[in-house]
Amino acid sequence: MSSSANTVAVGKKGPRIYSREAVLLGCIIFLVLFVLFTATVSRMYHKSIHVLADNWFDEGEASFRAGDIKSALTDYRNALVYSPDNAKFQFHLAQALAAAGRGDEGRSYLLNLLSESPGSGDVNLALARIAAHKVLTSDALRYYHGAIYGEWDNDPIAMHWQVRRELAEYLLDRGLQRQAVPEIIALADSTPANDTEQLRVVGNLLLKAKLWTRALEVFRTILSANANDEDALLGAATSAFNLNQYSAALDYFDRQPEKDRNAPGVAEMYKTTQQINEMNPFLHDLSREAKAHRAATALSAATSRLQQCATQVGQSLTVTPPQTQLQKAFAESKELSGGESWQNIARHSETLDEVMGHAFEMENASAAACGEPEGTDRALWLLGRSRGVSAQ
Amino acid sequence: MTEPTAVTSRGVIQSTANESANSTSTSGIRAMWASWTNRVFTMREDRFFLFLAVLIGILSGLAVVCFRIAIEWTQIELLGSSISPTFPRVVLAPTLAGIAVALLVIYAFPRARGSGVNQTKSAVYVSNGYIPFNTVVGKFITCALAIGSGQSLGPEDPSLQMGAGIASLLGRRLRLSQEKVRLIAPVGAAAGLAAAFNAPISAVLFVLEEVIGTWSAGVLGAIVLAAISSVVTMRAFLGPESMFRVPPFRVAKPADLLAYVALGVVGGLASLVFLKWLAYARPRMQSLPRWTQHFQPAAAGLLIGIIGIRLPQVMGAGYPIIDQAMHGQFTWKLLLVLAALKILATGFSFLSGTPGGMFAPSLFIGAMLGGAVGAIEQHFFPALPGTVGTFALVGMGTFFAGFLRVPITSVFMVIEVSGNYTAILPVMISSLIAYGISRSYVKVPLFDLLARQDGLVLPSVEERREQLILTVEDAMRVDAASILEPGDKVTEVIKRLEGKENLLCFLRARPGEWNFIERSELQRLAADGSQTHTAAELQFKGPLPFVFRDMSLEEALHWAGDWPALPVLSRADLSKLEGLVTLEDILKAFRKVPVA
Repeated sequence: MSSSANTVAVGKKGPRIYSREAVLLGCIIFLVLFVLFTATVSRMYHKSIHVLADNWFDEGEASFRAGDIKSALTDYRNALVYSPDNAKFQFHLAQALAAAGRGDEGRSYLLNLLSESPGSGDVNLALARIAAHKVLTSDALRYYHGAIYGEWDNDPIAMHWQVRRELAEYLLDRGLQRQAVPEIIALADSTPANDTEQLRVVGNLLLKAKLWTRALEVFRTILSANANDEDALLGAATSAFNLNQYSAALDYFDRQPEKDRNAPGVAEMYKTTQQINEMNPFLHDLSREAKAHRAATALSAATSRLQQCATQVGQSLTVTPPQTQLQKAFAESKELSGGESWQNIARHSETLDEVMGHAFEMENASAAACGEPEGTDRALWLLGRSRGVSAQ
Repeated sequence: MTEPTAVTSRGVIQSTANESANSTSTSGIRAMWASWTNRVFTMREDRFFLFLAVLIGILSGLAVVCFRIAIEWTQIELLGSSISPTFPRVVLAPTLAGIAVALLVIYAFPRARGSGVNQTKSAVYVSNGYIPFNTVVGKFITCALAIGSGQSLGPEDPSLQMGAGIASLLGRRLRLSQEKVRLIAPVGAAAGLAAAFNAPISAVLFVLEEVIGTWSAGVLGAIVLAAISSVVTMRAFLGPESMFRVPPFRVAKPADLLAYVALGVVGGLASLVFLKWLAYARPRMQSLPRWTQHFQPAAAGLLIGIIGIRLPQVMGAGYPIIDQAMHGQFTWKLLLVLAALKILATGFSFLSGTPGGMFAPSLFIGAMLGGAVGAIEQHFFPALPGTVGTFALVGMGTFFAGFLRVPITSVFMVIEVSGNYTAILPVMISSLIAYGISRSYVKVPLFDLLARQDGLVLPSVEERREQLILTVEDAMRVDAASILEPGDKVTEVIKRLEGKENLLCFLRARPGEWNFIERSELQRLAADGSQTHTAAELQFKGPLPFVFRDMSLEEALHWAGDWPALPVLSRADLSKLEGLVTLEDILKAFRKVPVA
């Protein structure tokens, strides 16, 4: 089957007519060569395209890090032109869009990525942040949970913890305490006891959520490892204060450096705690006289506050029979069997509770009529509350 | 092996190769070759045609891969790798490339100008499947240069024509029968389009819907095979990813679909504007002095470059921009501006005679319009489901249906290019509306219009699709036949026929076998004294071919001329006569229908 045998010339000037076998053989040879050529060209093309895409992406990263979001967006888009399905590029573009305040545009890229990998922690978190930024709480919750239970390439446990923390902070910032509580408790449960940093974060979240008991536990755990941890001392003091454990609170406050105790927001709490402890006649290590002295002072202060309040609201305290809470509290205090001098109280130590009870009732009545007290009255009022006397 | 192969009367391709090889089977390679050729060349031609379809698909796929790479590289070299080219490039690249393209088209590849779809159609209907290979080369070079330099045209139409050209060359070289050579161009066209769009179903539908115009079983298998093999080839080199990545969405309730009605109206009106402009401006551009053709592509390139200084998004095929629109990257105002400017830019490129296709620009325009409509609707009705991206996706199909007038293709194309099935209902609704609007105000579809402007009268697929198909039911007579039982006597039959105009009497031999006797014959027998004869004793003619009432009249016409009448039988019971139809009835029915 020589090549000359394969061909049949038809006319001198007409096109050469080849046998079908020869044409087919030629086609197959051409096909093989064409495949090889295309493969070579395609490899070169892909290589150059990948280089271009990576270069643009690197430029985008550099711009993003330098805070030039506009340039970063263009660079990421250029990168995506050459690698349109690259999830990493899409993700970074979406993040840049979100950073540029164009969350809606970023969201569509992220949704696309999410449809391809619904369990991606990164994508869920980015979507959650966009939803949180737009205050779409139900979406934010859904995506945060997707991120918490999602897949992470690096250190998934740490990422789950971080995302839950972010979610808890978002919920607390939005005032959604009821939804925040289970997240914070879950966060506390998943925090290792030896990780002081994480415990500190959890403790502060528990404080924000007013979970005082859990917060105190967490701060005590930190203090057991480092008794001088300043943040933990403050957290423990705050928790103890709110749990009406004023002695413990004072102890934590006293262990703090002075500068911390005098910080705004702390100083007043510290002062109140000191006042409570100075006014508290129920402390065990006090002498009978000292207790009686404190009780008499408390009664005097409460009576004075009640009278001021009555004047303020225009009520007479001598009305018979008494009508208002102020009048009733005042009248009851006057019925004290043993008088109100400290000597009488010291002499009849069994009246201490009764005297203090009247003092607390008067502070409560005053607080109800004239608002929360300040200074020593506040200390007395809080002490009363800690003793189970609350406003009607 | 000096004799060519021959097609026998049974359609079997005989080859002398096996005999020759057997006689000289001295080497192993020769024996293998002989065995292989024996198998291949003794295939029936229709099977060989399918084998060839795969080969065409692979070759077209490879060609399209190279074509797309050529466009990308040209673009990177001429415009740079950024989506926002620098000022000198954005103006100079399309202008200078325009001059080069014009020179190439005028002096080297004159047939590269014009629509690939129409050239393929004309190969089928005018030139017996002939598409010069020079056109394939010309399309490749000029389109890569034009699109790569930023002319607002797409690579799909040239890919279609390249596939058709490759197929045509193979068909001619392999000396297929005339019919097969004519049909092979659409096979290649489907392969080229499928690879260009990464969408085999849409390519098959487009070729059937627009190029061939019929669902011919003879070519359907080959078209499907070619499309699949080209897409597989393309994916092997360029990856299997869909063209666009659309964020997922769902239509929550039927009322949500109303949102897409507005998109259908806008898409229809926009396609109308574009069609009217092209129809008006093209003959005027063609009537300009011939020397101006040297500068028309460059002028178009300059205008596009000027637009591109502020909005480079309108340059080139624009697929990355469509992707961005689908991800809501543009405001509705910018989307509207981009749609309007793309119509202008595409018009400039197309009217200037720059080779390239209209598919990608129409997708671009549709996506921008869709995105704009979606953004506006969502501004006023924030509860609407779907994203701007969804509207952009649906908008692509909508404008495509209205502009190219291929409603079925547009629906499947949207699904295939996005890999997203959920958009099917919205696309169907808006595409249908856009198609309806476009059809109402522009009677002739784009490709037919271009062909007519070029002096070709190619069959209009749209007209053909809507032609009334007459069936036997339209021509049959219900009470014009008498049925004889074998025991009926001639006298009784004649009495029964009195006062009736029946010409024929049918005798049912068994279900599906009907014989007949003419009334005049019965009367002659009666006159000859055969009154006592029963029907069973008479000489009936037949058996008659029968028809059903739903069969087309064209089918019935095959037999009607050879017999005085054809029985119309029930499909459920072949012994039940529903009527009869004669040649005269058929012709009368045809005459009633006005000619399109």
